[in-house]
Amino acid sequence: MSDTTDNSMLVVLRHAPHGSSWLREGLDVALVGAALGKKVHLLFLGDGVLALATGQQHGPLGQKGTHPTLDMLEMYDIDMILVDGKALTQRGLTADDLQLPVSLIDDATLPEIFARHSSIYNF
Amino acid sequence: MLLHILNRSPASSRVPLDTLRAMGDNDWLLLIEDGVYGAVGPLADEFTSIQGRVFALKEDLVSRGLENRHDATIELVDMDGFVALTEQATQTVSWY
Repeated sequence: MSDTTDNSMLVVLRHAPHGSSWLREGLDVALVGAALGKKVHLLFLGDGVLALATGQQHGPLGQKGTHPTLDMLEMYDIDMILVDGKALTQRGLTADDLQLPVSLIDDATLPEIFARHSSIYNF
Repeated sequence: MLLHILNRSPASSRVPLDTLRAMGDNDWLLLIEDGVYGAVGPLADEFTSIQGRVFALKEDLVSRGLENRHDATIELVDMDGFVALTEQATQTVSWY
């Protein structure tokens, strides 16, 4: 057990918006956790980083998308937004292209984040 | 120690790459469902970096007719073994 155990909730978001409901499901769990008084940290990994790209709109058939939910995170004081730097660059994005201020994490830090959270929800 | 559970094959998904990147030095990985394809042949090479800490679920290999085809570097566990692994881990993280 690492000494800096963090008993906040880590919600890992690995799926892109619009294409499936995984991202929405993960964000919902994060919001519920925060509403129940847990400290929630988000980690965007893989295609999940695409959730944060600015300029997102409703789907062609009017599907709501997840960008409105991201704007609500602050209200739930979810402010620890971690983003996998490698996943971002692989997809041609930088932190400036994102809808929220984020903390970029590198390969060395990624395992530490998993190791120090005592409850991890992987979407 | 975290037990990571993966049900995607490295032949058809990039999820295993992120799973390996997230694993700590003493974390374990269990391949289940389609993840067991990663235990057979050259696909097992994807997991050489965590040799000795990677397992495959026997029942899922059996149902796929691959029971004796798993690479020697990957240890088989049955359902009871699966339960034992979860008991030893502080937490399990599923990669679907």
